[in-house]
This record gives sequence, structure tokens and C-alpha cells, in this order.
Amino acid sequence: MTRAVERSFAVRWRDFSLGRYRRHLRRLTLLAALVVLAAWRAEVNMHDLITGLGRGLSMVGLFLPPKWDAFPEMIEPAFVTVLIAATATPIGALCSILFGLAASRNIAPAWLRAATRTAIALERGIPEIVILLILVAAFGIGPFSGVVALVIGSIGMLGKLVGDAIEEIDPRTVESVACTGASRAQIIRYAMLPEVLPSLLANSMFRFEVNIRASVLLGAVGAGGIGYELSTAMSQVEYNKAATAALVSFALVMAAERASDHLRSKVLSRGQLA
Amino acid sequence: MNEAAVSVPRAELPSVRFRRRVVTALIASGSVIASLVYMKADPLALFRDFHYVANLLGEMLPPNIALLWHKPSLWTSLLETISMAFLATLGGAAIALVMALFGAANTTPHRGLRLLVRSLLAAERCTPNFAVLLVLLIAVGIGPFAAMLSLLIGSLGMFGKLFADAIEQVDPGPLDAIAASGASRLQIIRYGVLPQVAPSIVANVFYAFDVNLRAAVALGIFGGGGIGFELNVARSLLRYKDMLACLILVVIMITVMERVADFFRRQIFSREGVLN
Repeated sequence: MTRAVERSFAVRWRDFSLGRYRRHLRRLTLLAALVVLAAWRAEVNMHDLITGLGRGLSMVGLFLPPKWDAFPEMIEPAFVTVLIAATATPIGALCSILFGLAASRNIAPAWLRAATRTAIALERGIPEIVILLILVAAFGIGPFSGVVALVIGSIGMLGKLVGDAIEEIDPRTVESVACTGASRAQIIRYAMLPEVLPSLLANSMFRFEVNIRASVLLGAVGAGGIGYELSTAMSQVEYNKAATAALVSFALVMAAERASDHLRSKVLSRGQLA
Repeated sequence: MNEAAVSVPRAELPSVRFRRRVVTALIASGSVIASLVYMKADPLALFRDFHYVANLLGEMLPPNIALLWHKPSLWTSLLETISMAFLATLGGAAIALVMALFGAANTTPHRGLRLLVRSLLAAERCTPNFAVLLVLLIAVGIGPFAAMLSLLIGSLGMFGKLFADAIEQVDPGPLDAIAASGASRLQIIRYGVLPQVAPSIVANVFYAFDVNLRAAVALGIFGGGGIGFELNVARSLLRYKDMLACLILVVIMITVMERVADFFRRQIFSREGVLN
């Protein structure tokens, strides 16, 4: 009887033992080693975290209450932030049609396609903020540099999507339009654009949301707007004012997310905006 | 009589449709131009001031490739950036999974808790990454650790929502079957929920690593360490040749890491049962 008990106990023990996961052992060790290596490189430090938590919590007190009378002076920067994204998105979408056409094999010559695809891939490898830093060095600080940086970023994302969408168009659609004696421009207008416009519209809505977030970030390195207010308030140790700016940018991003979700579902269900 | 023969809805007449399109295009381009004017932007400056870009390019070229072996700290800062993104993705996914279990309607212990977690996640998604970093830089000190933490917090919002949505969409059949065998709530989650959501979790983790890697470069510029920091230092010292070398390094890093992530993703998804 004792043996039976022992055996059933052993069975149960094995149920909970890590031995069942033995086949994952090698992978888990690799992962653990990577984590340790990464933690060492990223200077992970639990002591800093714990003391930092206390400091962070006491800092939250510094931010409260937000400086409400700073609110009126935040309206104009907030407007600029929205404007940067709202200007960059349609321009980027328009440019991405051109880039998308140049990047698709069924309309562009091979050399043009290769060049455009390389440019888009390169662009996607560079974060927007780095593009902005270069633009600021060339054109100076200001919202326009932000717009150009976001347009370039939008082309990287939307141009690839448009190019892929055009390449996926059924060749018979293109041929049947070509059979009527259509010129290249007419093929683009009547066989290609109708196929890609709805998805471009929906993706542009999403990109607008991304652009709003990026525009807040870009503001902090010289594009102006609410991000600039936030980072100056922080560096001037005016935490209450920074809290106001943070609240405003919070509201902006939330509104953009809602609006983009709403418009996107409208576009996806009906194929057009209005 | 004739009118009845060609009764097309007025809104569908080609002339009306054309007019509507023209009006839409005019309004759209008008508002873009108006906002450009408001920002005192001058698109022509792009061409007129192009010599600035040319000058800058002249100063950047050729890139100071020699920096790669004269300054070994560049390689460690590259590793720093990758480490930041890696840890933030992994830690963010782990914490977000727990939050998602509380935030999904079918696994949450209490409806009120679900609402709380869901609104926390929504609030997090609306907070700009670098605002979190600015606070953390003061709390934890300048360096990659602060940037890693802010990336981790930044991943929570997106991960949490996606995971919770995935959990809510699982097939309830297996869950009922496991519950009928007398399993506890944790056992239902382990054997019923997790196997169903694992593929989408893994896919999202890889996507988030891609996003976090780029964000890690950006946060470096605000004092988060890593290659972004080096790049910004080179820029503010007007050493554009060094900056271009850093930039090339960033592009290579992102491309290579994309390939590496692709390799591991294929490894994981190609084997049956690895995710159980």
C-alpha cells in the first residue's frame, strides 16, 4: 500500500515537475542567456528601479496639479501638432501613389522598380526622428521640417503598400483596359487606381494616427508644437506646466485614434470616405 | 416622357459626379495649402535652399567609416540599442499577458477589474513614449535602462489590447471541456486559453520587436543611450561624417535584425506543437 501511495505521489509530483518541459530546455537556456546578456548591456539595475520607483512616485506629486491657466497657451502648439500631421498625411499619400506606381513591376520598367524599392527599404530603416535631425540641419528648425520628415516617413510605409497592391492586380483587368486602346496613363487611371484607392485611404487614416504620435515626438527635437512645449517645460523644471502639455498631447492622440478608427471602418465598409 | 426613359438619379450623373470630385479636390488641396501658409512654410524653399542640403551632403560624404574600428564603443552602443528593444519586448509581452488575462471578458475574475485594466491600457496607448522617458530619466537616471523601461511601458498598451482581444476570441468549446474535467481556473487558462492564443502572441511579439528597435534608436536621442545617443552627439558636435557612419550602422542593424527575427519566426512557426 505504501508503494501504491508512493507511486501515485510520484506520478503527481511528475505532473508538476519542470521535466515535462525538458524538450524546451535548450531553447529556454538560449533565451535566458540572451536575456542576461541584454540586461547586462542595457544596464538593468534593480536597485535603481526600486529607488527610482520611490523617486518617480514622489515626482508624480510634483506634476500635480496641472497648471490649468497654462491651458490657453497650449492651444496654438496643439493646433500646430495636428496641422503637421494633417498636412503631411495627404501629401504623403499622394506621393506614395507615385512611388507605388514606380515600385510595381506591371507598370514601371525594371530599373525604376529596383531603384524605388531600394529607396523605400532604405527609408524604412531610418527612424523619422533621424530624418528630422538631418532636415533640421539643412532647413532649420520649424514645423515645415516636421512636415517633410513625416511625408518621407509616410512614403516609406504607404508607398510599399501601394506598390504591393498594384503588383497584385489581376493582369486581366489591366489587359482588358489596354485592349480598348488605352494609353499608359489611362491604364493607371481606370485599371490601377480604382483597385488601390480604398486600401490606400484606409491605410492613410491609420498613418494619420501614427503621424500624430510622431508629430508630438518630432516637436521635442525642433518641429514645434505640443512636443516642444512639453520638453521645454520639463527642462525648465516647470513640472505643472509639463503636466498640462502632457494632458493635451494625451487628448490629441486619443482623439486621433478614435477619429482614425471611425473613418477607417467607414472606408473599409463602403469603399469611400463620404 | 423622354425624362422617364433616362431616369438616372441626379447624384449619379457624370457631370454631377465630376463636379463633386472637383469640389472635393479643391477643398482638400486648399486646406493643405492653407495650413502650409499658416505654418509659414514655403515648399519652394525645398528647391531654392537645396544648396543647404547639397552642402550638408558634401559635409557628410564620405562617411567616416574608420570610426567603426577607431571607436569600439560604437559597437557596444549598437548592442545596447538591440538589448533595450529585446528586453522591452519580452518584458512587455510577459506583463501584458497577465494584464490581458485580467482584461479579457472570459478570463477576468471580475467585470470591474476588466474595465479598470482596459482603461489603463487605453490610457497608456495615448501617452507619448518620450513623455514616459522624460519622467523615467529623472527617476532612474540617464541611460539605456530608462529607455528600456519606457519602451516596456510603451509596449504594454498595444500588447495588452491585442492579447486581450485575442483571448476574448478563443473558441469556448475546449475551455468548457477542460472545465468539465474539474480543472481550476488557472488550469483552464494554461491548457485551454494559452494554446489557442500562443500563435498570435508570438506573431505580435516579433512585430513589436521591429517597432521597438526603431523606437529604441529614437529614444536614444533623448538621452536613452545606445546608437541613437551616439548619433545625436555626432550631430550636435557638427561631425556629420561620424553621423553618417552611425546612420549607416543603424540601417544595417535594422535590416539585419529584421532578417534574424524572420529566421526565428520561421523556426517557431515551422515546427508543429512547439507552441504548446
